[in-house]
Order: sequence, then structure tokens, then C-alpha cells
Amino acid sequence: MNKKLELADIQGNVLRAYGRFGYPAARYVCLNVKNEIRGRDFIAAVTERVTTAIDWSTEDGKKLKPNWTANIAFSYQGLRKLGLPRASLVEFSPEFSQGMKARKDILGDQGPSAPENWDPVWERNGKDFESNVHILITLNGLMPAPVTEDANGMQEAREASLEHREQAYEWLLEVVKEHDDGVAVLGGHCGANGEKFDYQDADVLFEDGMPTAKEHFGYHDGISDPVIEGVPYDEGRVEGRGKLLEGGKWAPLATGEFLFGHIDEAHEYPPAPRPILLSRNGTYMVFRKLHENVGTFNAFLSEHGKKYPGGEELLAAKFVGRWKDGTPLVLAPNEEKRKAFQDKLKEASLEEQERMLSDFSYEDDMSGAKCPFSAHMRRINPRGSLEQVAGEVPGSMIRSMKGENEGAFDTPGALANRRRIMRRGLPYGTVSDRTSDKGNHGIVIMMLNANINREFEFVQQQWINYGNDFKAANDKEILLGNHNIDGKSPSKAVIQVDPESDDVPYIVSDIPLLVETRGGDYFFVPSMTALRLIARGVIDPT
Amino acid sequence: MSNVAGKAYAMNVITPVRWYTAWLNKLYFWAAVKFPSTLSGLVTLSLIHYARWTIIGRKSFPHLDHRQPKETLKYSYMLFFSNFNGSWEQYVDSFTFAIPSGLDLFWKWNVRYSKSVPLTPFHDYIQYNQIETPHYYNAYPLASSNDVKSAANVRATLLAFERAASQDESDEAFQKRYHGLLRALQHDLGEMHPTPIVTMAANQVEKRTQWQSRVFEAPNAQS
Ligand code: HEM
Repeated sequence: MNKKLELADIQGNVLRAYGRFGYPAARYVCLNVKNEIRGRDFIAAVTERVTTAIDWSTEDGKKLKPNWTANIAFSYQGLRKLGLPRASLVEFSPEFSQGMKARKDILGDQGPSAPENWDPVWERNGKDFESNVHILITLNGLMPAPVTEDANGMQEAREASLEHREQAYEWLLEVVKEHDDGVAVLGGHCGANGEKFDYQDADVLFEDGMPTAKEHFGYHDGISDPVIEGVPYDEGRVEGRGKLLEGGKWAPLATGEFLFGHIDEAHEYPPAPRPILLSRNGTYMVFRKLHENVGTFNAFLSEHGKKYPGGEELLAAKFVGRWKDGTPLVLAPNEEKRKAFQDKLKEASLEEQERMLSDFSYEDDMSGAKCPFSAHMRRINPRGSLEQVAGEVPGSMIRSMKGENEGAFDTPGALANRRRIMRRGLPYGTVSDRTSDKGNHGIVIMMLNANINREFEFVQQQWINYGNDFKAANDKEILLGNHNIDGKSPSKAVIQVDPESDDVPYIVSDIPLLVETRGGDYFFVPSMTALRLIARGVIDPT
Repeated sequence: MSNVAGKAYAMNVITPVRWYTAWLNKLYFWAAVKFPSTLSGLVTLSLIHYARWTIIGRKSFPHLDHRQPKETLKYSYMLFFSNFNGSWEQYVDSFTFAIPSGLDLFWKWNVRYSKSVPLTPFHDYIQYNQIETPHYYNAYPLASSNDVKSAANVRATLLAFERAASQDESDEAFQKRYHGLLRALQHDLGEMHPTPIVTMAANQVEKRTQWQSRVFEAPNAQS
């Protein structure tokens, strides 16, 4: 990798999932800008403390790792309110200027996921000037290394991370107070028992006092994430996370898929607002609060688990493409192989573990016998598997070839490389009763991409809520599909088998709605340079 | 006007070619048909119903009536005609991501062709030369081409399954055969419902025109 990004100009949350870097406690705060000039003063004050993407792995870098991080993003209405010139505003993408709510028909946010059912802070967003979410500030508290290895040590470290988060929040409230003629915190984030908060917390889930990488359904999450050109601390993580090349090799994705002002996979600068200093090193962020219906999920899984020949755990793995412990199904399609994989994983170095968990493609599983076509991961990042045609054996799919060692497409990932999304965020809430959907728990997911319509919205609409590219007609992705939103059309999915075996494909019928949208919007994450320009009110594209 | 009808999109693009290079295009077309592996990328893009390229010589444009003014055309034209599932962008992007070199070969000699990568000039080129579809009839608005292929496969496989049945087939043998049937159809069992909205604009047109309901309501409206 020769390209080096200007890490000190890029906001830290763009290149880092803070959870992986020792920040298990997050807080998200929405603000409204009341007054343009004082609003800009507020931005100037916040900018002083915004965390950048500088390398923390070097000797000097280590010292710069803060006790808490702060990052900032703006909705279209926010940028407007802060006085960006019309000439710049019109160059943001239409979906960004419309906002997430207006895109509900594309996103499938209907029925229980419809905006009228969102948390008040999001439901009111856009209804009047005072309720508009203009600014999103995201804070994360650092967990220090535990002093002792036991549960006590861990407990202390955890408390320290919560303390750091509080410090971050106090700082923010202080800055807000100093500018209370310019901005106001918007309340109305729902808590577990319907209480309303001025912020949304999200936390790594702990089990027996130990931090886990799990989300509320019980899956190991946060493993795969795109790797792009120019990030020094991602250099060893390209396999399985970059783009797939001929012969099973991987290369980092073009930076412009995720950052403005850099060349993208189509060999051009992604469309972005001018002046270039406003957009370069910035990106779009899709913020979504997703409730998980844990009770429904467990009942649904156990009901089908009784009928499914492979049993409940394998079926759970088929929904996602990984076993609950994170083992990729294509590398370990049965329990025995899963065990062997985990044994090997435990022996491996951290770097090797990262590679083992992500370095695979679907080339040896073109028919979906290991990872079904409607599994979460295969739908959202099909890697090379869309270069497919029906094979000779009935019920089989094979890689489509042009020559002996040459796929039909110019590159195997042709249809996937421009549909990638970076994921940030953490689980929120706690589940007290695993047989109930009640309460408030799920995932706050923040997805970064340079083109919301081409990347996030496309995946959400065409691959999650529709199946044509996967030869599945209207069958939806199992975990996230907006199943049965009208109460009349429950979904189904086919769990494929090896076409040359005697196995029987399993039909997962009556899939209920497992995940519901509870709020969100589209944001712009500016570079440090752009933040300063916005704060000073000196953006001029002419 | 909308280029969208149900799950299908109709695209017509007409681009000028210098008459003295038009034969090169014809040669490429001939070669592509002769050596189908060159088209394997195109065939793999399952959202496409079909795609057709043809050259219309500058003297072979239809002259339908003596009242139609005679034109002297400077260029020959390449007509590209395709129906596909999904949105304009999905289609054009799939082409450029999957078979950029193939596209360049077909359009190479067209006047002001930009090449398929980078994407934005190519988008502009297609958009500029696209002829909108004022009227587009789709007999099966619910079906994508994959849906039709699957349905045909389900039907053929089921009929064969039935033909192979015999009175003296044991329960076990029948079950084995039935399982084989399911396996053979495991990529053809998706359920067919209306398309997700293609674009916000197309959705609005669809809502306003509501052509299905209009057709049925028309007699009442007149009475
Ligand atoms: C409550 C909702 C969700 C749950 C429970 C969930 C769970 C998971 C799990 C368990 C994995 C596998 C672990 C990993 O590879 O990191 C995963 C991967 C992934 N998820 Fe989700 N997810 C959710 C929502 C979403 C949404 C809304 C999107 C985007 C539209 C998304 C995009 C992805 C991507 C891109 C991957 C990696 C796929 C790959 O690169 O192979 N997830 N998710």
C-alpha cells in the first residue's frame, strides 16, 4: 500500500470502529441549531476536541489515545441552518438532502418500522424547526487495561469506561451551555421502560463480567469491515475485507468508495459538494437505531430448530453465515469443523485470528450448501458470488467463466465492490427476558459510504428486502428483511443443500419481523478542515 | 412517460457512428455471436431480459411516405435496445462494473464515446443519447426475467416428476424422488410479489397513474 491518507484530517470514527480499539461505551447526542452564528461558534468549540484518525499504534500515537472520543456529523438541514451556501448545498446527493424518513419506501421502513413508530427524537425530526436533528455528536469512553485479570479488575476497568463516557458528556453539556443561545440538545431517545433520555447510549455486552463481541441475538458481531487503501493500521487485514481478485487474492478497496476527494472503484472522484475543501476526507453516515425482537427470534429459531435436520445452532448459523461464535460457515459447515476451527483460532495470534475469521469467499459454495443465499452476510456482501450461472447438476449454481482461468466478469467482485459499507456502532439496551420483545434493545448501526444511494440504500432495498440478484425472487434476507410488515405476507427462505447429495433443502417458513427500525437519519461527516471552515462560515464554492 | 413498467425497464440508446467505421461494429457483432464466450459476462448479468445492438446505415432509416421530408444523414447509427429488471443506475452500473472492456468494444467507434470507466462520463453519454419510452406495455409486471426462468424450470421439472411416477412406486422411492425434486428446484422457489419501488420518481408516477385501477374503473367513469 503506497497511498497514505491524511489521518489527522479525517475524523476518527470514519476509519475506526471504536469498540475494537478499547472503547466499549458510546453515547449519541442529537442537537438542534437555533441560531446560525452562535451555532457556528458551538461547532468551533466542539472541533477543538474532535478525535481524528491518527495512528495510535506508533510510540507517539499511543500517547495520543484519548480517554474519550468525540465526533460530529451534520444532517442536510443542519448544514443549511449553519449557513452553507446554496451552491454547495445543491451538490449534496438527493437522498442526503431528503433525509432517511423521506426514503422509507426505498428502505422498507414500513409497518412497525415506519417513522411514526420511531423514538420521539427521530419521529419529530423534520416536523418543525425546533425539532430538526441538525447535529449528531458521538462520544466513546475508553476502557483502560484491567489492573488484575479477574472479574474485579474487569469490573473496575468497565466502570472507568463509563466514567470516561460521563466525562465526555459533561464536556459536551458544558459546551452546549456556553452556546445555549445557539444550540439545544434534543431529547426523546427511548429507554428500556419507555423513559425518555437526552441521549442514546450503546454498550459492548458483558457476560459474566467479561466483555463480549455479541449482539442481543447472541451472534459474534463486528468482524468483517471493508479495508481501504491508505490506512496504516489496516494493512494486515486485507484478506476477506478488501476486494476479491482473480485467484482468491485480495486488495484494499479504492478509498473513494468511502471518502470524498479520493479515487473510487470507477476510477473517478465520487460526486461531492464543492468546494473540494468542504468534501475532501469527509463522507456520509447512515445512522439507524434497530430494535431486536429477541423473544420472537428465540421462539422462531427454536420452532424451526426442532424441524431442521442440522439442529438449532446450525440453523442460527444459516441465518447469518457465521456460527454464533463467529466461525464462518463456508470454512466450517458442520459442528465438528466448527470445533476444529475454534481450537485452531484459540492457538492463533491476534493478527492470525483476524485473518482466519474473514478470509473466505463463496467460490467453493456457489450453490449455497454451506452459507445459504438468504443469509445476512451473503446478501450484504456477496463477495465474488454474483458471478454465477446455473450449473449442469439440477439445483446447482457455478461460477460463470469466460475462459479456463478467467471469470465472466472483468473482476470477480464486480457486482459487490461498489456496494460495500463500513459499519460502526454498538448494541444498546439490555435484555432482561429472552422470551419477550418488550423493552428497548438492539443495535445502533452507523454506516459510512461515499454514496448512500449506491451503497447503503441499494443493499437495503435490493439485497435485504428483495432477492432477484440471488435468484430468490422476492424472498428477503432472513435477519433484517421487513418480513410480514402488513401482517398478511410472512416471508420464507430456502436453506440450500449440496445438489449432489441426498440432503433436502429446508424451507424456513413464516419468518416474523426480527428487527425493527426505531429511528435514524443521513449525516455528513466532514473532515477537520471542513469543520473549521463551517465553523468560521467561510465556505465559498465560487 | 416512464421507462418503467412493473419490474421491467426499457432502454433505447441511439448513438452516431461514422459510416466508414460502421463495418467494424458489424464485425464485432458478428464475432460476438460467433464466439459466445465473449458474451458470457453479459449473460451472467441476470437482471437483463435481453440486450441488442444493431447498426442502422445512414441510408437505411425508414422513409414511410412521400410527405416525409428526405434527410441526408451524416452518420450511421448504432441502436442499443434492452429490457431489464431494476433501475437505470443498477443496470448501467452492472454493465460498467462487470464488463467494461466488452462495452468499450461495442461502443468504441461511436462518436464521442467516453469509455465505460470512469463512470460519470459514461452515465452522461448514455443519458444524453437515450430515447425515452413514451409508452411501455408489460404483460407480466410482476415477473423479472429470473422469475420467468424459474417458473419455467419449476413447471418442466414438475411435469417430468409426474411423468416418472408409477403406480407401483414404493413410498420410499417416491420420497427419494420428491427430495430430488426439491433439490433440483432449490434456486427456483422464491416467491413472486410486486417489485420494490424502482426509484422515488417512478413510484410517484406509478401512484399517480395507477394504470391498473384506471383500466378497471374506466366504464364507471364514463357513465
Ligand atoms: C439488528 C440488526 C443486525 C444484526 C443483529 C446484525 C448482525 C450481524 C452479524 C452477526 C454479522 C457477522 C459478523 C461480522 O462479520 O461482522 C454481521 C455482518 C455484517 N452486517 Fe449485520 N447485523 C445487523 C444489521 C445490519 C445492517 C442494517 C447492515 C447494513 C445494511 C448490516 C451490514 C453488515 C455487513 C456489511 C456485514 C459484514 C458482511 C461481510 O463483509 O461479509 N448489518 N451482521
